[in-house]
Amino acid sequence: MKIGNQLMKLFLAQLKTMFREKQVWFWNLFFPVILMVIFMVIFGGGDSSDFKAKVALVKPQSNAAADSFEAGLRKVPVFEWKTEQAVSSEQADTWIKDKDVDAVIILPESEEAGDIQLIVNTENENNATSQAVRGILQQYVQQASFAAAGVEPAFQLQSSVVSGGDEDLSSADFLLTGMIALSVAQAGLFGMVDMVELRRTGLLKRLRLTPMRMGLYGVGGMMVRFILSFVQIVLLSLIGVFGFGANLHMDLPTLIVAFFVGVLAFNALGYLFSSFSKSIESYMGLANITSFLMMFLSGIFFATSGLPDWLKPVTQVIPLTYFVEGMRDGMVYGSGFLTSTFWSGMGILALWGAGAFALGAFIYRKGKVEAR
Amino acid sequence: MSVLTVTNLRKSYGTVKAVEDINFTVEAGEVFTIIGPNGAGKTTTLEMIEGLQEPDAGAISINGLTWKKDESEIKTLIGVQPQSGALFELLTAEENLDLFASFYPRSRKTSEVLEMINLTEHRGKRVKSLSGGQRQRLAIGLAMINDPRVIFLDEPTTGLDPQARRNIWDIIMKLKALGTTIILTTHYMEEAEKLSDRVCIVDQGHIISLDTPAALISRLTQEREMRLSFHDGEEAASQTEKAIQSQPDIVRMERDGANLTLWSVKPEQSLYDLLGFTKEQGYRVEHVSIREMSLEDVFIAFTGKEWRD
Ligand SMILES: Nc1ncnc2c1ncn2[C@@H]1O[C@H](COP(=O)(O)OP(=O)(O)O)[C@@H](O)[C@H]1O
Ligand SMILES: [Mg+2]
Repeated sequence: MKIGNQLMKLFLAQLKTMFREKQVWFWNLFFPVILMVIFMVIFGGGDSSDFKAKVALVKPQSNAAADSFEAGLRKVPVFEWKTEQAVSSEQADTWIKDKDVDAVIILPESEEAGDIQLIVNTENENNATSQAVRGILQQYVQQASFAAAGVEPAFQLQSSVVSGGDEDLSSADFLLTGMIALSVAQAGLFGMVDMVELRRTGLLKRLRLTPMRMGLYGVGGMMVRFILSFVQIVLLSLIGVFGFGANLHMDLPTLIVAFFVGVLAFNALGYLFSSFSKSIESYMGLANITSFLMMFLSGIFFATSGLPDWLKPVTQVIPLTYFVEGMRDGMVYGSGFLTSTFWSGMGILALWGAGAFALGAFIYRKGKVEAR
Repeated sequence: MSVLTVTNLRKSYGTVKAVEDINFTVEAGEVFTIIGPNGAGKTTTLEMIEGLQEPDAGAISINGLTWKKDESEIKTLIGVQPQSGALFELLTAEENLDLFASFYPRSRKTSEVLEMINLTEHRGKRVKSLSGGQRQRLAIGLAMINDPRVIFLDEPTTGLDPQARRNIWDIIMKLKALGTTIILTTHYMEEAEKLSDRVCIVDQGHIISLDTPAALISRLTQEREMRLSFHDGEEAASQTEKAIQSQPDIVRMERDGANLTLWSVKPEQSLYDLLGFTKEQGYRVEHVSIREMSLEDVFIAFTGKEWRD
């Protein structure tokens, strides 16, 4: 009873503090909206017209797997094929250079499952079309390997592909989900500045003089952060859908899981930063660098194919990469909840969160001993 | 009954010896003041007692309890106003009190505390927009929200104007009247003299002296400073100076025009003789004063240092 009351009071105190702070409104709500509008206008064309990408296919070897893969791909409605037949890689290269096609898809050399490659013109690699093609292809490959693993009957493949590469999948969808993921991630990374402030003003010390449970303070704070991120999603989605014609294909369980894991993971990162930042400035610097790097290296808006090879593995470990994929699974692909890519992505994200939290808690505890 | 016992307390920060061998006992219901210049070790001493800092050596017992064994019990027994009166800036005065009340198993009514700290009128104002004195009163309000047995106030009046300072004194007197034991630090001698039952003067981590304000002052030499000014001008002053010179209790004398300053170990006797002479001569004395000794003199006498506020 008493604990419930304490939690309630701590939650309300932090809720009021957060929403009475003008900075919070600006950076967490107003700023992402402005940024998204700018992105939509620049990259998205700002209309809801159907999205089409001109592509060509290279099939080095004809075998059963490659043939069925090709057959499936050809049915993806957003792809407009340059030729009905697969072409040589030299021919495809020329088209790419001359920008006759937006992208070239190269199937594996042999049946022993190799990599499927996507090639786009360097000049275009960061535009929304390339991004969309990449997303669709990834989605498709995921479904196909899933089917190959025999978990699901192959005939289901077709229908899921159709829903995956929906007919009115637009670049607005990509920008919207990318922006949502970025905003939620930033709210987590930056939001823990409260902890630094708590220490700087001596409030942390003051609270330690009372029998208050620090754990409850943390739980109350997380509840507030979930509310903030929820507001972000709703606000951005409304603007994306009604302002820019984004089409959402929600899969609620997927979305909820991705949202929870993501919010926790990025707040844990913020918590870690707060544990060793002596001033607000150093915390903000750290959060800024991190979110900036993640924004470019995770490929939420910009393709990572242009990155130097040594940097590419970084994309594969960055939590934002998995968060944005998870959010897209839940918001636009409408793909089910039970894909292994989704769960391994969530696993990596959760690992980041758990690791950051454990390290942060350790540093806090060590710091407390020193201060005592 | 003693509420707080501190024995052989020590604390260093690297090479800085903040507190060296502090010992004292505080009785229930007392106002106990620790006074000393900046950096004397007052805050460090309090923070060790409050459980925020681990002492390098020494023992602390609050109501017979120790931090190691009875942390949660001690926390409900004490109330603290830290030197940096930390408050939730974006919450109102009332919300701050309500929140802190929820931390304790037993607490005072918020309205009652608001009344005591005279903030009822400003209960709905955010801390951000409160004045310095109002913030300090709220910080004291938070310290008393759990109706503590012992309350610690670290420099509650530093940086406040005289009126705001007097308001804080009123709150301290109210708390004392309710029987709360109060441990206070200050660097205003006047405040220590006025409020405290006992005063502990510290300098550079050491206790210099500890007693009631009156006892501390009477421990000083009996020599008092007296001033007189003569209505009849320089001549009268100089005549008086000559006549009184032989008086054995007078240690020293200075004359500046019609003003005479003298130091005596028996001020009453000296004054009696002096006024006898002026009456005889028909001199009119315009102004007579005997300077009271203060804790400031005690500090100067014990440390040989000038007192700086
Ligand atoms: N956290 C700290 N680290 C290093 N030195 C400190 C720390 N806290 C206090 N000191 C030093 O200890 C001495 C006593 O400080 P303090 O207890 O704050 O004095 P007061 O409260 O009487 O002004 C000072 O010399 C101060 O510089
Ligand atoms: Mg101090």
